[in-house]
Amino acid sequence: MHLILGHCDDTCCTGVKARLEARGLPTRLMATPFEPPSRWAWRLGADGVSTRLAPDDGPSVDIDGVLVRSNGWVDPAGWEPADHAYMQSEVHAALLAWLAGLPCPVVNRASAALWYRHRNPLLIWLPLLRRCGLPTPETVVTDDPVAASDFGDRLQAAGVPGAVCTWLTREDAWLIAPADWPALAALQAHTPVCLAEPHGRPRVACIVGRKVIWNGSPTRAEAALEPGLRRLAVEAGLDFLEVAAAPLRRGPGVVLVEPLPRLEHFDPSTHAEILDALTGLLVPDHAFTPAVQEAHP
Amino acid sequence: MILVAGGIADKVTEVVCARLNECGYAYRLFDLGRFPSGHGVAVRWTDVGPEGSLRGPDWKLDLGDISGAYVRFLGPEGRVPPADLPPATATTLRAEADTALMALFDDLPCPVVNRLGGGMSNNSKPYQAWLLERAGFRVPPTLVTNDPEAARAFQAEHGEVIYKSVSGIRSIVRRLGPEQVGRLGLLRNGPAQFQAFVPGRDVRVHTVGDKLFATRVASAAVDYRYARRDGVAVEMAPCELPASVASACLHIARELDLLHAGIDLRETPAGDWYCFEVNPCPGFLYYERHTGQPISRALVDLLHGGVAVATEPMREAANI
Repeated sequence: MHLILGHCDDTCCTGVKARLEARGLPTRLMATPFEPPSRWAWRLGADGVSTRLAPDDGPSVDIDGVLVRSNGWVDPAGWEPADHAYMQSEVHAALLAWLAGLPCPVVNRASAALWYRHRNPLLIWLPLLRRCGLPTPETVVTDDPVAASDFGDRLQAAGVPGAVCTWLTREDAWLIAPADWPALAALQAHTPVCLAEPHGRPRVACIVGRKVIWNGSPTRAEAALEPGLRRLAVEAGLDFLEVAAAPLRRGPGVVLVEPLPRLEHFDPSTHAEILDALTGLLVPDHAFTPAVQEAHP
Repeated sequence: MILVAGGIADKVTEVVCARLNECGYAYRLFDLGRFPSGHGVAVRWTDVGPEGSLRGPDWKLDLGDISGAYVRFLGPEGRVPPADLPPATATTLRAEADTALMALFDDLPCPVVNRLGGGMSNNSKPYQAWLLERAGFRVPPTLVTNDPEAARAFQAEHGEVIYKSVSGIRSIVRRLGPEQVGRLGLLRNGPAQFQAFVPGRDVRVHTVGDKLFATRVASAAVDYRYARRDGVAVEMAPCELPASVASACLHIARELDLLHAGIDLRETPAGDWYCFEVNPCPGFLYYERHTGQPISRALVDLLHGGVAVATEPMREAANI
């Protein structure tokens, strides 16, 4: 059985499920393998890891491949907040161990570093991007208003208006206009801020295995990033990764890394290619040919 | 110059600073208990990495001058709350500030004790046990399950069984007794972790770079960390490890990209060595005070020397 850990409102889950089922491969979509009535066990002993999953409280099934789109969300309904937080941590931890030891394709089989820091801002990815030779926006982290405004002045002198202020703990960013610097300075009294060089219109791309799938046609300069993007996926240990490249002062650079790609970020015409490639990773022993046509408007 | 980022009220950080003073090694304390008050950061990331400086109440330290960094982030209890912010806002901004510092410390080119990524495996005990087993350690037979029948079968197979949390949330290791067996039906709400009880003597190993300090712990408690609370005595003494075990300890620390680690071992009466856990932020003070082992001295020498052991981090320690 193929398992898709995720939710039915995720088009990536439903698209891959449809493709696997069209090939006659039994597939199950569930949020976690621990959800009742499933019975699940993970054992580690002298002979390594063995696992057992019995969906619906029925017989155990062999797992042939897993697409991971959820990190084990536990419905808080019926839990006291403190108990829910504890159980969420337990499920999260159990799921990481289970996925790590499965002897079948798992997309993505995340490292602990990524499993527990999956919403990393670009700042956290900078060392790895640098190792992969991928340009990134010039970035400053400071609680010094003078250093911040110097950065803004330097960009201004280079013909780039403003700077992008990015929250590091939530997905939020805004362009600092000249009138915003005093408010930014007030914020800096309490925390350093992360400022980055503004970028042009981004183009998203998916790395699926060794394949780089762009949204639309990449420019030559964007396409030149592909070796670095493949290396990024390998170094991060990820088979499925979304990035955004955008024009910077010195050419295109990476402005976003997302280990949980969203099909909604791509044109519908690209969806089938992504889903086919993704499905191909889960059935590596079969020569995969597209079996399902997406209904495009 | 050595950078110490931690809270002066934190005993481990305090000992590291005291040892640096004793050795005459220059250092700067970036007080995370007060940060950002009185402390600051101005760093620019370029194509070659971060450049800039950190500053404290009466000092400024260029990142390029740091020979080694010792980092111990603090929980909320170790922080001085800002008087001029509502608590929720203060918490949000503190998380923001910590994330910025974590990014910086992870990207410093000098030895960092410890970079965050290497310690993440500690958040999942079975995952870490799997890594330990792959690294050549003997680990206790372990079951994680949401199935009461599987837990009962495991106990029937192994006899004496203990249970503990699956995640990194600290829990007291307890024996699975009749009372707990009666509550196994609750497993249907979520998984728990069980391990075959391994009899023997505990040994705590601290690695510091390529140095190793082994401490034998004698206690009748199942979990000696809580022995005194339960009125059970604890005795400690330095000990030697078999070469293969010592080698495995250094190996796993390197693999996890941990320049400093606390490794929990147990030697059975038959002479087998089991590994339970690797702690990426070990409170070594307890052991050093009981045995006189120069753990903090080795630590400050490492930070002063600025020479990290060659590491080739495995995938789970990828620096992201």
